[in-house]
Amino acid sequence: MRFRLPTRTARRRLVNAAAVVITLGALLALGVLNGARAAEPPAPTHEIRDPHYGDTLFHFFQERYFTSVTTLMTSQHFNRVSQHADEAEVLRGGMLLSYGLHREAGEIFAQLIEKGATPPVRDRAWFYLAKIRYQRGYLAEAEDAIARIENNLPPELVEERGLLQANILMARGDFGGAANALNTITGKTPGARYARYNLGIALIKSGDTARGTAVLDELGKQGAENEEYRSLRDRANVALGFSALTENQPKEARAYLERVRLKSLHANKALLGFGWAAAALKEPKLALVPWTELAQRDVSDSAALEAQIAVPYAYAELGAYGQALERYNGAINSFERENVSLDESIQAIRSGKLVDALIERNPGDEMGWFWNINDLPEMPHANHLSQVLAQHEFQEAFKNYRDLRFLAKNLDDWREKLVVFQDMLDNRKKAFEDRLPKVRQRASEIGIDALKKRRDGVVSEVARAEEQADGLALADEKQTALLKRLADVQAGLTSNANDPEIATLRDRTRLAGGVLNWQLAQDYAARIWDVKKELVAIDAQIAEAQRLDAELAQAQRDEPERFERFAKRIAALDPLLKVMIPRVAALSKEQQGAVQEIAIAELARQKERLAVYSTQARFAVAQLYDRANSGGGASAANNTKDSTKEADHVAK
Amino acid sequence: MFKRSHFLIAAAFVAGAALLPMAWAADAKPAAPAVLLAAAPASAASAAAPTLVAAAPATSASSPIAATLDGRIQDVKSDVIKLNRDLLVLEEELLFPANTQVALFVSMDVGKMFELDSVQIKLDDKMVSSYLYTPNEVAALHRGGVQRIYLGNLRTGEHELVAFFTGKGPHDRDYKRGATVKFEKGSDPKYIELRIKDSMGKLQPEFDVKVWQ
Repeated sequence: MRFRLPTRTARRRLVNAAAVVITLGALLALGVLNGARAAEPPAPTHEIRDPHYGDTLFHFFQERYFTSVTTLMTSQHFNRVSQHADEAEVLRGGMLLSYGLHREAGEIFAQLIEKGATPPVRDRAWFYLAKIRYQRGYLAEAEDAIARIENNLPPELVEERGLLQANILMARGDFGGAANALNTITGKTPGARYARYNLGIALIKSGDTARGTAVLDELGKQGAENEEYRSLRDRANVALGFSALTENQPKEARAYLERVRLKSLHANKALLGFGWAAAALKEPKLALVPWTELAQRDVSDSAALEAQIAVPYAYAELGAYGQALERYNGAINSFERENVSLDESIQAIRSGKLVDALIERNPGDEMGWFWNINDLPEMPHANHLSQVLAQHEFQEAFKNYRDLRFLAKNLDDWREKLVVFQDMLDNRKKAFEDRLPKVRQRASEIGIDALKKRRDGVVSEVARAEEQADGLALADEKQTALLKRLADVQAGLTSNANDPEIATLRDRTRLAGGVLNWQLAQDYAARIWDVKKELVAIDAQIAEAQRLDAELAQAQRDEPERFERFAKRIAALDPLLKVMIPRVAALSKEQQGAVQEIAIAELARQKERLAVYSTQARFAVAQLYDRANSGGGASAANNTKDSTKEADHVAK
Repeated sequence: MFKRSHFLIAAAFVAGAALLPMAWAADAKPAAPAVLLAAAPASAASAAAPTLVAAAPATSASSPIAATLDGRIQDVKSDVIKLNRDLLVLEEELLFPANTQVALFVSMDVGKMFELDSVQIKLDDKMVSSYLYTPNEVAALHRGGVQRIYLGNLRTGEHELVAFFTGKGPHDRDYKRGATVKFEKGSDPKYIELRIKDSMGKLQPEFDVKVWQ
């Protein structure tokens, strides 16, 4: 069965908005906050001056906060986000704050202030410090921090600041001050509406019922464009209704409760109160209408459960004692069945089925606030789960449990990686030890110095050839061979000098030699250019060979030390992992137990309620029997007949 | 007696609406505080006002937070985050030393002219990355995120990078464009950003490459 928690959308939007405001405040200088909150991202006006900062934002915008904060911290280590140093710190502080790491976040913001950050950064830092202090209960310090904020907050945080101030004042019991702070907020954001709601409640609690009622009444009549706002409006009206009931104003209570939608999260409570307002007006017939409807709803809801005995109460008030008796007995049976169901659910939770199945059906690949329970596991009585899972406390505890599971997997992955790193390091070390001496040996065999000497010899020869414009020195192989052959031929022609045939040959040889010399002279300029060019290339190659040789020599000296350093780091991190893994495992186990206990406690509370209802129902049954036995039975029986018909009609 | 009994029940009904067990005391009264408590900001059971619940101050500022299970969990989270940082630093220094490191990034500005589907990257004619984007990732790029799409090693000297961007262009047409750059790798890490921009003049997307110094 797929189940979506009723409050999921509202929660997600609110938490999302809160976290985005917390953390994105840092980005306002980049102009990306609007993009974070608007449905259509506006044209960004930001300028990323360090690509690694953009990489952090890439993960951040996907709500992958663990990846975002760890890559940001890595980039900070390598000094790769220096152009966004302050924004990066505010972003990091915000993400740590979202993980509940108040101390670390507080230190970051305090340091930003201490080091004299720019006014916009400083104001944001004061704002977050105020928020942290408020969340930890340091109200005076929070007020001090909020008072230090100047006028450099981005518009989105200005409203947040007003809300925070109102919350601080409410926490201090200064409801008038809180009202004034809220009056300065013109926005209609969820935060502003919830703050008004809380203010109304707080005023009523403090005894200022008139003002509190006025605040809630305004909220209770306010237009609501989405389900989240409509739900809040319903909630305000329910609170108003019950407040009016306790003030003995049933008419007003009915008017407030009438505003609550019949199909809403708060409808059951409203129906119950609506019936009670009628009962207070001595109109049990009217009370039967909402209570009969409520009694047909799922009994896992406490209001519906109460309706089980509210209906017979109304019948009894109408004098329909027979009907009342029947309904009371029906309610007792229903309570007993529900009690057995609750025991089965508790047993299933205790066996670990709930948490295991929830994890299996709701995996997450990141740690954070935004994991939601989307799929419910198969359990004996699914309706009990919705009551358990709707609890804020359970959700928070379950998120912590999932976070720990994520951390366990993360650490496990790193443990495997560290083994690979160590192997890699060993292999590199071995390869280095095996190969480098051979390479160095080959280099020494080739002899860079000898090469350099040879190059020096060639340079001298070229210089001489250039100085003497000696084309012969630049002859190629073929020409050199021809010159040699020519010299050999000429040597052979020195005998028989008077032989005319020999003389002809000598002339031809001289001619060929002349042609060859002519060609060499002709090619001299180009060849000397080529030779010089090649000499430059040889110089570069020798320099490169020398550089490589020097690097190899350097590597031979440095690499073992570098390998050693890496090995030491791996060796230092490995025990940390080995300590952390069982620590996380133990906490996971403990947290699983805590999650289960929260769930069981909720069901136990339901059992307690059932017991109380059951006792009351039995007591009422006993009273009805007493009444019948004490002589009013005949008239009661007569009354029962008539009133039952009438009451049934009303109930229908 | 009968009336009193029902009064007790009635009181219990009203208080019961608070959904709080404390309202079901044996001598239940029409307990106003219980009703109001149900709606009070500090009510942890209140799912309808989670921001306020989340923002509610701790009951005791001086409570030994670290000793609680929640406190110990926060501690372990903090330690694991720091440990991850150290491990990531080690990994990078070991696998991608600064003198050979090259990192490729993808960014996108407005992105109205181009709906990004995938990017393929060749370095020196060798495919090093072929990445298919999820809508979430595209949204993150639109909002100013810069994706590090590749981290690798290159020797010093000249290299060529070719990137192909695939997606939907103007009028919902299939669109594939490339961008090329030659760059010199020195002994410092090299960061190269592949940028997708909207050219309002041409009403076309533009793809260029920025080599960070």
